[in-house]
Amino acid sequence: MRHVTACFRKRKHGEFKCLSRSFKQVLAGFYETGRREFTVLDSDMRFQVIVAAVFWSGFVESRKVRGISSSYKRFYKERKSFLCIDGSKIIPFEQVNDDYCDCEDGSDEPGTSACPRGRFYCTNLGFRPHYIPSSRVNDGICDCCDASDEYNSPAHCQNTCWNLGQKERAYVEGQMRTLDEGLRLKQQLIEEGVLLWREKQAQLRELQQVAEDLQIKLEEHRRRKHEAERLKEQTLKALEAGDSGKGRILMRSCCNPYSITVDEVKTKVVLVHDEERLLSEDEALGLLGGGHQIDLTKFRRTLWDVLTRGDSVKVRSISLHFQHPPRCFFAAEWEATNLKKVEEAYETVNMEISDLRKKLAIDYGTDWEFLFLNSQCYKLKVYEYIYTLCPFNQVTQKNTAGTEVSLGTWGMWAGTPKNQYSQMVYENGEPCWQGGSRTTTVTLTCGTETALRSVKEPSKCQYIMDFQTPVACQPVLKQRGIHSEL
Amino acid sequence: MASFTERMVPVLVLWLAVCLAETWAVDRGNFKTCDQSAFCKRQRALKPGESPYRALLETMELTNTRLTLQLINDNNKVRLLLELYRLQGNITRVKINELKPLKPRYEVPDVLIREPPTEPLSLLSQDENGVVLSLGSESQRVIISARPFRLDIMEGSDVLMSLNSRGLLTFEHLRMRKDTFSYKVTSTVASVWDNIKRVFSSQADPEAEKKEEADPANQAETTKEEEEKVEDGMWEETFKSHSDSKPNGPSAISLDFSLPGVEHVYGIPEHADTLRLKTTENGDPYRLYNLDVFQYELYNPMALYGAVPVMLAHNTQRTTGIFWLNAAETWVDISSNTAGKTVFGKMLDYVQGSSETPQTDVRWISESGIIDVFLMLGPTPKDVFSQYASLTGTQSFPPLASLGYHQCRWNYNDQEDVQSVDAGFDEHDIPYDFIWLDIEHTDGKRYFTWDPHKFATPKEMLQGLMDKKRKLVAIVDPHIKVDSNYKIHNEIRSKGFYIKNKDGGDYEGWCWPGSASYPDFFRADMRAWWASMFAYDQYEGSMENMYTWNDMNEPSVFNGPEVTMHKDTVHGAWEHRDVHNLYGFYVQMATAEGLIQRSGGIERPFVLTRAFFAGSQRYGAVWTGDNAAEWDHLKISIPMCLSLGLVGISFCGADVGGFFKSPSTELLVRWYQTGAYQPFFRAHAHLDTPRREPWLFGPENTALIREAVRQRYTLLPYWYQQFYHAHRTGEPIMRPLWVEYPQDPATFSCLNLFVCSQVWFDIHTFQKHNGAQNLYIPVTMSSIPVFQRGGSIIPRKVRVRRSSTCMEHDPYTLYVALNLQRTAEGELYIDDGHTFNYEKKEFIHRRLSFAKNILSSVNLAPDAQFTTRSWIERVVILGASKPSKVTLQTAGEYSQLEFDFDASMSVLTLRKPGMNAGADWTVMLQ
Repeated sequence: MRHVTACFRKRKHGEFKCLSRSFKQVLAGFYETGRREFTVLDSDMRFQVIVAAVFWSGFVESRKVRGISSSYKRFYKERKSFLCIDGSKIIPFEQVNDDYCDCEDGSDEPGTSACPRGRFYCTNLGFRPHYIPSSRVNDGICDCCDASDEYNSPAHCQNTCWNLGQKERAYVEGQMRTLDEGLRLKQQLIEEGVLLWREKQAQLRELQQVAEDLQIKLEEHRRRKHEAERLKEQTLKALEAGDSGKGRILMRSCCNPYSITVDEVKTKVVLVHDEERLLSEDEALGLLGGGHQIDLTKFRRTLWDVLTRGDSVKVRSISLHFQHPPRCFFAAEWEATNLKKVEEAYETVNMEISDLRKKLAIDYGTDWEFLFLNSQCYKLKVYEYIYTLCPFNQVTQKNTAGTEVSLGTWGMWAGTPKNQYSQMVYENGEPCWQGGSRTTTVTLTCGTETALRSVKEPSKCQYIMDFQTPVACQPVLKQRGIHSEL
Repeated sequence: MASFTERMVPVLVLWLAVCLAETWAVDRGNFKTCDQSAFCKRQRALKPGESPYRALLETMELTNTRLTLQLINDNNKVRLLLELYRLQGNITRVKINELKPLKPRYEVPDVLIREPPTEPLSLLSQDENGVVLSLGSESQRVIISARPFRLDIMEGSDVLMSLNSRGLLTFEHLRMRKDTFSYKVTSTVASVWDNIKRVFSSQADPEAEKKEEADPANQAETTKEEEEKVEDGMWEETFKSHSDSKPNGPSAISLDFSLPGVEHVYGIPEHADTLRLKTTENGDPYRLYNLDVFQYELYNPMALYGAVPVMLAHNTQRTTGIFWLNAAETWVDISSNTAGKTVFGKMLDYVQGSSETPQTDVRWISESGIIDVFLMLGPTPKDVFSQYASLTGTQSFPPLASLGYHQCRWNYNDQEDVQSVDAGFDEHDIPYDFIWLDIEHTDGKRYFTWDPHKFATPKEMLQGLMDKKRKLVAIVDPHIKVDSNYKIHNEIRSKGFYIKNKDGGDYEGWCWPGSASYPDFFRADMRAWWASMFAYDQYEGSMENMYTWNDMNEPSVFNGPEVTMHKDTVHGAWEHRDVHNLYGFYVQMATAEGLIQRSGGIERPFVLTRAFFAGSQRYGAVWTGDNAAEWDHLKISIPMCLSLGLVGISFCGADVGGFFKSPSTELLVRWYQTGAYQPFFRAHAHLDTPRREPWLFGPENTALIREAVRQRYTLLPYWYQQFYHAHRTGEPIMRPLWVEYPQDPATFSCLNLFVCSQVWFDIHTFQKHNGAQNLYIPVTMSSIPVFQRGGSIIPRKVRVRRSSTCMEHDPYTLYVALNLQRTAEGELYIDDGHTFNYEKKEFIHRRLSFAKNILSSVNLAPDAQFTTRSWIERVVILGASKPSKVTLQTAGEYSQLEFDFDASMSVLTLRKPGMNAGADWTVMLQ
């Protein structure tokens, strides 16, 4: 493509027409009538323009000039002399393709190997025409599928253009099918992506709500804990002050943190089916296992056991009977435990939020089409290693002995400016022997399935992966047809 | 091609400054200093003085071809036998051995290409003080002085060389260990035997009594010998954790050589040092002991991978050489009476006329073996090259393709990798001929095998390369994995071909495969077996476009002393101590033989080796080992290869880009530009470095590298002709300027200037420079200052293709650079490029000459026959004037040639003369 001159001499009127540089694809069609039409397509294929250059069908090719494309034939019309295409020199026409390089630009020898900077045009009917460097003319290696480059060589080249064309067409068709299917799947994945995105957003909002609730709860618990502690301290102070009467009362009412009395049981425990009735001394004694006062260990085995089963007795509702609950040490500890639980819950939720936020901060493509890859992992065995790619997360390598080595964690998109989503980089993997750390570059290619296709290590600790997925399919691919080269 | 890289000096300096901060170097503690090597320490402790050796002139025997004479050490009465030969081509050989050694001492086999032919020696005069012999037809004489023994070689009234003039000849005779039981028994038995012998012989031979007195085994003298003190390290030596059992005791030899009038000595590679050897008085001697030195340091005399015990001495009058044929660990001390003098001091001497003659003194010390030294007496540099070549042979004539570019890396991972790198060269239009596979291609470092997954179908891969007329080199190292499931190991073990440890079991060391054993390449039957392993039906997956690389053949033993083999391992009758420096030589010899045999003797082999010895030039290419991606390493590659070239090994190169570490883009480009003008042109890189194929550094740098490689390819006809010349003559291909200008002292240590009354043409711009001046050539990233000397004709093929083989039939362009006399000469050599058929005279060899405005091609080998499709497509005459008419005469026909004249550069270009490259023709400018 890049070899096509932008200007065409329009013979009839002797004027030049130049194509704008923005035309990216120039395709030439060939018509056997001797007419030459140049079809110019812009990159979007929105319209076709027939530009210029209609050569007279009466033009006689008295001598075949080897190695030129039809678009260049006009430079090689048989006259007395030949002007090097760069205009640098005029030589007799016999010196065109005479196996001696006269023109700096190599234009006098399109069909021989004489010019170091020359090029030879393979017509390759049935396949793609293309240029090869002049140095490949008659070098004993078949380069043009139509064998035209080895016209004076011991190499026995077969014309393979038709086969190649068939294969190419089949391949391109396959590619097109893949592309179509890929694009269809991609559309689905985009839709899924959008849903997933919304879902994640919703999840985030939910979590945030939970976090807010927990925040409130947390404050309440802090307050309570604070209060409990305050009371505990007061009690302690009172005890220390030696006010024995008051102390005794406090003790009797509740404040031995290490034991429970029958009285306490009587005031705080009620029957499930009759909440209003106070327990009798004997009933309370029974619940405590026969002693008037028991310690905490014993309590756990007796009363606590009964309470937790909850079928006969329960603790009297706090609102009624704990309105002035015993401000004891036990309560302070209780509140501290509660607070800790809430704090933990809050922390967990916040971590989830920040994880989710981090995930959502990743660029999943313009339509969140890559989002579905998140939390997926893909494996491939290459020789003695199993490679695992977890997109947007990490890449690892596991050997047969089961040792796993990190080949990098998610770094960034690193594709071309045109399509930055064509390549991912995972960096800061396990350090290497000679310094630096392992990195992996993942190239995304269009396919109907999402899978890891190949892994290579061209240089030590530098891994490259080929990762196929429908979301890498680009509609632009579709427009590159068989005729991608002039 | 002249020196060019010197222009990079400013750049080099800058880079050095940046790099000084880095601490990256060899671990010197792994390698011995002279002080840590018992024999070196012992020998070096001896200072110049009166030699204890005396020549016993009455024992002299002179035949037509040889003189023998006994020497006696007056201190211990041990006698030596001196043999002196006059060899054809102005070489004198001096051999000294014990007259009656306790057991034979090692004499190096297989290095000399034949028993050197001798010339008659004649006695000129003799008296009780000495003997004068005539050396051939010239006015050269050898004077043997009796007391003390010394040997002087004279020409006219000039002393060319003196041996033992400083009295440093030593010969540690083999002896029994005195503190052992066996010594006592044996010496008793010996004395009984001697007594018996005396009784019988005295009856039979009345002369015997007299002779007996002179016998070193004589009892009276033995007593005296016993008084010699036993020094540390004579019977046992330890270095780090390794001990050397030394069952034969001390066996070192040493001899000094004085070179009057000489200030410049060169050679004794391999050292990472300047071309001109330095004096060693203030440090260690230069060491020759083949070692795998990890991350070697520059500018010091430490031993490296190879050893060629050949030193060249040069002054304006004469070039001479000393070839010390000994394969044991060797140290070379150099001193000079002018070394300390400043230039001003030298000038003062000169003005005052009071100067003593400058003189360089050299001393060789080897651990065992005998003294066998060849004094190559020049007188020109080229004479010395041909003298040395007559002894050890010339550079093998390599396949043309091996002069192209080689792409190597440790490692190309798998077949797909090879294929994609191959394709990369085509995509970026860079020619190359060989892609290389390092150790990872094997199945677990078992050489001659392939990794079953990564290289599952090697023939397919090789065929793919062959389709593009390209080739591959696979590594085969000489350490064999000890593994009973490995065919090669089993066969070597069952045949008993492994080197044995001192206790008689197979020696095992640690190398790439883990535990490994080392085939005994000193056995001819082992080498024959090894060679047979390269047969296509033995080496599975090999094809005719696959060649071989022998690495680690010092040999490298990771857990051995100094990363090599224990000296007390056993090779048949010899200890490793005696033969060490020859191991790599034999590995390459056997491998090259294998490649020749697999083709039925038709194809030329290509084998690269890291370790080498004198004579290794006959088997292929060498490289300077594991260098680093540093500017200083690029710079040192030039003197390292120059030094090798001086001692016959022309096919030399350094890893382009540097093996360890990663080169900056600029360094890489510069290295390609340098490597393109060195004989062996291969890029290589360490496993841990990032990829560096030529196209990975942006289009601009790709273009620069492409251009450098293309320049190499255009000059391939010239390289090939140069290799043919080297193969014929032994002359180096890459040479220091003094070889070309032996009478110009400015070139002797020339590193940044040359002074020569010549004309030089920039090969790119055709800019003409007159000689005898200092020039600073400005460079850009894209320019390589390369000059064609006025007076030369260089054939090129300017149609650079994918590989050299693709260019086989291409036409030539002749570059004729006129000198001040408006003449020029050159040669053109053509053959099939890969077989030995040139030995059957199937080649074209033409002399191209320009004189009196006539350029002609004359057949240099009328009895040779070869036809080529190549023709002459262009003649470019540099320094020409404009002719009015140009006529070509070929096969009796005359035709007018078109031409183009560029008056501004005085360049005349003849358009398409078209004659066949093998034809007789003349072109007349009128």
